[in-house]
Amino acid sequence: MKPSSNKASRRAAPVVALALVLATGAIPSRAQDAAASGAAAPLSGPITFRLDPAHTFATFEVRHLGTSTLRGRVGPITGEVLVDRAARRGDVRLRIPMTTLDTGFKPLDARLKQPDLLATEQNPEAYFVASNFHFDAAGAVTEVRGEFTFRGVGQALSLRARSFACRQDAMLKREVCGGDFEGQLKRSDFGAGFGTPFVADAVRLVIQVEGIAG
Amino acid sequence: MMKKLALLAALAAVGAAAHAEPATYALDPSHTFVTFEIGHMGTSTNRGRFDKKEGTVTIDKAAKTGKLDVTVDTTSLNTGTPQFNKHISSEEMLDVAKYPTAEFHGDKFTFNGDKVTEIAGNLTLHGKTNPVTLKALNYNCYQSPMLKREVCGGDFEATIARGQWGVNYGENYGFPDNMKLVIQVEAVKQ
Repeated sequence: MKPSSNKASRRAAPVVALALVLATGAIPSRAQDAAASGAAAPLSGPITFRLDPAHTFATFEVRHLGTSTLRGRVGPITGEVLVDRAARRGDVRLRIPMTTLDTGFKPLDARLKQPDLLATEQNPEAYFVASNFHFDAAGAVTEVRGEFTFRGVGQALSLRARSFACRQDAMLKREVCGGDFEGQLKRSDFGAGFGTPFVADAVRLVIQVEGIAG
Repeated sequence: MMKKLALLAALAAVGAAAHAEPATYALDPSHTFVTFEIGHMGTSTNRGRFDKKEGTVTIDKAAKTGKLDVTVDTTSLNTGTPQFNKHISSEEMLDVAKYPTAEFHGDKFTFNGDKVTEIAGNLTLHGKTNPVTLKALNYNCYQSPMLKREVCGGDFEATIARGQWGVNYGENYGFPDNMKLVIQVEAVKQ
């Protein structure tokens, strides 16, 4: 994918990436492409992070009858994250396994997986593809804007970092970066409006993510 | 004269209590969960949830008093990662083989009008008991169209220092003592 100033092709890029993901069953990696072409990745250049399956989950929160907050967890999320802190750029392609839904109460899981809500049989995965990264002065990621595809419907989504940090992990002997991200969406925008307004249309996404530098 | 006044006050109190008797609510297992949140190496937040619990709440809206009794099955820990479930359940942390339940008994309810804002009580975990106050972020009652009963509940939070309950694992290498309890609760009038 070459950077393009053409708006239409920029919008199409996530779709192309998604098609590649679906076709190959793997997340394409620019770093691997660079290695394959013989170019050594400079230290300050793009670094590919492998998502840590023990620390990468999404939880959704939705208000139930104006009273309590219903939560469901999906994950681990798979995919790859490419970040170039010096160039202040990044690229992320995530596959979110909706079939792993776990609310803690199996009858509720079964209800939420039905075609009028998560529709997990028809769409077992959701996707988040983004290349619009924002950083603070110290180089920490503050926001990632991209496209979220849920139930086969793609919509713009912004994930804001509540916390972000990198550490040299003593056990893995590698750099680990990650944090807590939050996003907000309306489920009716994706055709999952069943039960509104008794169960709120507004959904808050709470995402734990840690990536291991490859 | 004083005796007569005291008798009158006692009668008035009894009358009021009879007028707005305390109601008992059973916890709805599909909308009642305890999730804990704890920082991981200064990077992200780890979460775990206890899936099995039971309990009752008694609320007297007129007298503004209440009582909450909850028993959590600590063997129902669910983090989404089997090796974490195993490790946290082990002797190094919750030791659920020895302490298969945690209990919270709250008997000091604070109200703002009809709404519960705080529940203070004692949390027994890992064989130790310490006071904990649960603060309400949301509280509401509604008439359930499906159950045809009143349901009350909300979201409660508390931050606890796990060392007070003798759970100190990893404090020397970056796992914080403080952890947050995030509680969803709905209870159905009996």
